Amino acid sequence: MATIQLTVVTPEGKLFEGAAERVIVRATGGDVCVMARHIDFSTSLGKGEGRVTLPDGTVRRAEIEGGMLHAASDAVQIITNHFTWKEA
Amino acid sequence: MAGASMKDIKLRIKSVQSTMQITKAMQLVASSKLRGARNRMEASRPYMEIAQRAMKDIVSHNLAEDSIYAQRREVRHRLYVVIAGDRGLAGSYNANVYKSIDWDGMPEGSYSVITIGRKARDFFQRRKVEMPAQIERVENLSVEDCEPLAGEILRGFEAGEYDEVVLCYTTFRSVLTQTPVLRNLLPLEPVQAEGRQRQMLCEPGAEALLRQFMPQYLSGVIYSAACDAFASEQAARRVAMDSATKNAGEMIEDLNLRYNRARQSSITQELTEIVAGAEHS
Repeated sequence: MATIQLTVVTPEGKLFEGAAERVIVRATGGDVCVMARHIDFSTSLGKGEGRVTLPDGTVRRAEIEGGMLHAASDAVQIITNHFTWKEA
Repeated sequence: MAGASMKDIKLRIKSVQSTMQITKAMQLVASSKLRGARNRMEASRPYMEIAQRAMKDIVSHNLAEDSIYAQRREVRHRLYVVIAGDRGLAGSYNANVYKSIDWDGMPEGSYSVITIGRKARDFFQRRKVEMPAQIERVENLSVEDCEPLAGEILRGFEAGEYDEVVLCYTTFRSVLTQTPVLRNLLPLEPVQAEGRQRQMLCEPGAEALLRQFMPQYLSGVIYSAACDAFASEQAARRVAMDSATKNAGEMIEDLNLRYNRARQSSITQELTEIVAGAEHS
């Protein structure tokens, strides 16, 4: 399956950089899912859980508060000041 | 006569030695702080790049041309965010930040300043410049500390008090070179589009998106710049203290030479006196 190149960046550092199958985030207007070949897209984020599906099928969850998601030509960036992985 | 001068030289040597101890210690402190500061700077740099690129992307898609954050207005009042050091003794680090802007060339009252760092605050307080907000310490600054500044910038910009917001700080290139830079924060600048424009979707509309993201964006960018500036300060101090230590070493060598000469001449004089006395008796 086609993947997107996901980068999660906060002012304190890059928290993720790599391929992902899909990204689900809580945008201000509701949950949004971004997959490969998505139209160029920007949205502001609310407070909620984000889910990243990696190419091997594992799902990583994270707590996100505010910021934005920016997708352009299969490069997706989550730019936020508050991002914490919730590791199982 | 010779004895007094020998004592003077001895005292000078002592005082230069204690100065050298201080500069040496400061150099060591700066080196160890630089290590941590560089790590923080390297971690925060991607945010600045990626966030600014994303913002420019939104603005250049003409989605936000009506947004007040992208509109250029005639600049009557500018706000500078100046990041300098907390302490001196860092070579020309602090002076270079101030020198990057021609303050005297601007009419009084045409600009306000937000400062980060004690030295910056003192500089502008002396010049009696209006300072709507400030942070006293650059060291161990957190993103949360920058949020009130971002709030003040946005409040003033939205109210039309500031027509342009410029960030002024020092960027770290290497331990030996740090360059002062000016970066326009507001209004947002579009990139020149090359070729065919791609379409872009913005939710919930560019204006609302910018309004929601702006506070985080500004505090993140200011934090990132402050990390850069702090690493530059430590590097500048390390280099300045290194050369001060070297200079002190050279001075001690020179004084030692003078001391030995004075000692030699006093011995010679004493011998001459003894010999002359023996001849007379």
